[in-house]
Amino acid sequence: MKRSAYRPLRWGPIAALLVAASVVLMLIGVVTQNPVPLFLALPLLLAPVAGGVEAPRRPPKVEVEQTVGGGAASVQVQGVIRPEVGIDARDLLVEVERPAGLVGDAPPRFERTPTEVRFSVDWVAPEPTIVEVGVPAVAWRDPLGVVERQATSTAESIVVTRYPPELLRIGAVRLERTTALPGETRSHRVGESGEFHGIRAALPDDPPRRINWRASARAGRALANEYELEKTGDLLILLDARPTPLGPEFDEHLFSISRAAAIGLSESFLAVKARVGLGVFGEFLDVVPLSTGRTQRVRIEDAVRRAHLSSVSAPPERCAVSVRRHFLPGLTTIVLSSLADETWTDVAPYLRRRGYPVLVLSPSPLPVLAARSKLSPVDERLADRLTHLLRRARIARAWQDAPAIDWETFWSLGSFVEFVRRPRTRRAG
Amino acid sequence: MSVGGPALGWRPVRPVSLGLLLFTVAGLGYFSGFPAGFGVVAAPVAAVVSMVLRSGPWPKLDPYASLPVLVAVVLEAAFAPVGFGTELLAGLAGVAFLVWLADDPTRPAGGPLRAFPTIAIPSLALGVAWSAALFLPAGTLPIGVAGALLAFAIAAIALLVGRPALFDQEEA
Repeated sequence: MKRSAYRPLRWGPIAALLVAASVVLMLIGVVTQNPVPLFLALPLLLAPVAGGVEAPRRPPKVEVEQTVGGGAASVQVQGVIRPEVGIDARDLLVEVERPAGLVGDAPPRFERTPTEVRFSVDWVAPEPTIVEVGVPAVAWRDPLGVVERQATSTAESIVVTRYPPELLRIGAVRLERTTALPGETRSHRVGESGEFHGIRAALPDDPPRRINWRASARAGRALANEYELEKTGDLLILLDARPTPLGPEFDEHLFSISRAAAIGLSESFLAVKARVGLGVFGEFLDVVPLSTGRTQRVRIEDAVRRAHLSSVSAPPERCAVSVRRHFLPGLTTIVLSSLADETWTDVAPYLRRRGYPVLVLSPSPLPVLAARSKLSPVDERLADRLTHLLRRARIARAWQDAPAIDWETFWSLGSFVEFVRRPRTRRAG
Repeated sequence: MSVGGPALGWRPVRPVSLGLLLFTVAGLGYFSGFPAGFGVVAAPVAAVVSMVLRSGPWPKLDPYASLPVLVAVVLEAAFAPVGFGTELLAGLAGVAFLVWLADDPTRPAGGPLRAFPTIAIPSLALGVAWSAALFLPAGTLPIGVAGALLAFAIAAIALLVGRPALFDQEEA
């Protein structure tokens, strides 16, 4: 987010108070023919003008650097704000906006020196999420508080992603199905490992023939060749962004969790050099084609960040047709859907018919609904049992078409990872 | 939600600026026309109330913290008798009030030093005005002239306050 718009000088409430007090004093002085109130009025009247004269003539420029730390549910945002020369950093007011999706009311901690302001703020992600932390609002205010001026900065907002830690391990799963890109022609497999795929850091047990000596000489560290046969299969992550009968608020909540899981899955598989693609199906299908590497990670993160819920529900057939247009069959597909709608809206059977082995990961709406319930404890327990029975029946119906994992404890995906590791799961398609 | 304000809880009192304010308002109270002792007590009490409002854990009251002491000083000045010492003390009370304002406990220490130019200009004007009143000959006319000048000053300041873009170098 760029903060470069023109921002005029603003008078603070103290300025109005000083001017009002001065006017009253002057009137008293003139009416009573007493110079004492006039002498008191003089400094009060001139202070706002002096403040305006001393203020920066244009919005001061500040350099903002932000980093995100913390792990699991903890989100720690740290930053440094450096004003341009001539501006005392101690006169800067900094406001850090807490994004929706994170909780915590602890005020930010500031360390101020004449040249920079360091800040740190701790929030908590109550569930997996992907949120954008905006650039802090910075303003210069004179020490008296009579004038204020917004600063400008060219810093960009940062993205915070939190997903279950188990997803870090899922990349180790070797996907069985690997497809070629459209137009890609494979050569005959030569040597012990087949088609060349890429370069990776050499391992201690790599034979000398595997070492890429030229690349190692250029990089200054041992690098080894990696071949097609060694890498894992490709993966398509499909986000279901269609509305459900739960309503926009609950849909948005569950979609945010799905987006975080999509980021976690893509990062984990990209880390092992798998090719990962992304599809976001709302009214139509938006895709990020299969690819690998850091650039693909940025592409997917950007697409997930921009993904939003559709206001119109599209037929699942459209999704399958669109997927077939962009990806070759045989591609392992993980569908992230809340399964809160009727069975006929499921995309899994349509994808299966077109040859995609599908696995459904379904963030459950029950914890979200329970958190906002206003029932008495007794009624709540009864409602909880009934909704769980309904949910179980819904998942069972989804299982008829594809393996469906009910994701109810949002900070844990251990059962999903274990499920994916079992070979028979991947043959289900 | 926006977070960036001061942490809740009592904030440290800045003793130097508070002492200066107490001294000047107590002096002005002593010379004012209030019943014996009342002026000396009322203004310092108002200053302490302002200090408590500003240092206390009530961020919503911060904008109103300066009101008690300002009202007390205005009342004292309104009833103060004519005299060069009283005039000087009234002006110094105004300057001390500005120093106290600059020493905001919610902001980094050293505010009065950073606000030196902002406080120095009114202080200089006060010095010139008081010197002129003390050393230049005066008659019955000056109060009228002063009134006209002050009316002009109010109009000029109202213009400046109403159009902050006049202080800018960039076009709005």
